[in-house]
Amino acid sequence: MTEKVKVRIDGEVIAATAGQTILQVARANNKYIPALCYMEGLSAVGACRLCMVEVSGVARLLPACTTPVQEGLAVATSSPQLQSYRKIALELLFAERNHVCAVCVSSGHCELQTLAQDHGITHIRYPYNFPRLSVDTSHPRYVLDHNRCVLCSRCVRTCDEIEGAHVWDIAGRGINSRLVSELKRPWGEATSCTSCGKCVQACPTGAMAEKGFGVEEMTKQRTVVSRLTTMREGQ
Amino acid sequence: MTTGHATALPHPEDQDLVDRIIGDQAGRPGALLGILEKLQDRNPHKYLPMETLEYVAARTGIPQSQVYGVATFYALFNLDPQGTHTVAICRGTACHTRGSRALLERVKLQLGLQETSEGADKLTLTTPDRRFTIRTVACFGQCALAPVVEIDHAIRGHVKEQALIREVEALRRDRSR
Repeated sequence: MTEKVKVRIDGEVIAATAGQTILQVARANNKYIPALCYMEGLSAVGACRLCMVEVSGVARLLPACTTPVQEGLAVATSSPQLQSYRKIALELLFAERNHVCAVCVSSGHCELQTLAQDHGITHIRYPYNFPRLSVDTSHPRYVLDHNRCVLCSRCVRTCDEIEGAHVWDIAGRGINSRLVSELKRPWGEATSCTSCGKCVQACPTGAMAEKGFGVEEMTKQRTVVSRLTTMREGQ
Repeated sequence: MTTGHATALPHPEDQDLVDRIIGDQAGRPGALLGILEKLQDRNPHKYLPMETLEYVAARTGIPQSQVYGVATFYALFNLDPQGTHTVAICRGTACHTRGSRALLERVKLQLGLQETSEGADKLTLTTPDRRFTIRTVACFGQCALAPVVEIDHAIRGHVKEQALIREVEALRRDRSR
């Protein structure tokens, strides 16, 4: 049975179904909460910390993508404090790796870039990490550029949950975390990869791209992954 | 190029052992951690070779990337052969302020080891003859004894540079092990 609940998002009373997350309810009602690791159709992991919201009666901030709604829940989605925290989270993403929009295939179609613009980020207040990272061009059709990876793990979940291959995972920990295929094999040598390309479409940045695209040319069909889940549920 | 579906290990006797360990643990939630820990413990060089990881993945049905992710996330797992003797130097705050950095540098110099990458949360260096491995530890929880050094699983407190050099030298001279 689906239990109906009433929640308040930024003051507006909204009817929702118990079990839905704050982010799902907000998106269904045209309330904007930024998110990077969340993708409709995939499990939510709460990794990017951009969808943090204030819930009245709770002292700490909660990620909207993993917090289920309850009757009488009141959420604030964009206080000055949240805005400042989101800016910090975004700036730290930029500082962590080598995000150079000017030479990126996804410039103009990049979720990280869009989020930065939406949050009025014009410069990064933290020293850049400038890690020495590799670009994996071993796959005949796709490229993986670690410089542009934000470790959102969308590709990991897409490959595991939608394609069922689980080629990708995150290795290491902390600042040394890296996306790996199989046992850190080059992508082109990963025998479990079906070359379906859904990870590429799910990637929010230019970290994964199809070969043969120049700067700004790699537009992505992000709805593909979400639509697959919806279609399968309908069966 | 290695194939994605290994069903055999280089040495058959290893395979029996590995199969037994996997059999004991398989199916339990979090079984992978126990399997990897036991396998590393039984390995003569206390590490997890790539073939072993590949075999574990094939036998348990856990994706290779997940096995690799677990093996690299936990500091206790080694992906490279370890030396016969292990010198673990604490890098915790208490030990650092009591000069553990100097101890590390001194032992590295003594064994002719060079740091390849600075800043990693765990530093592991092994001599080419595989007699010594030097590693850093985040904290032993023995801060009152700072600086703390663990030599072959025995904890030494209030370690002085000269004492440490003497101990390592004694191990180096002892060719029987």
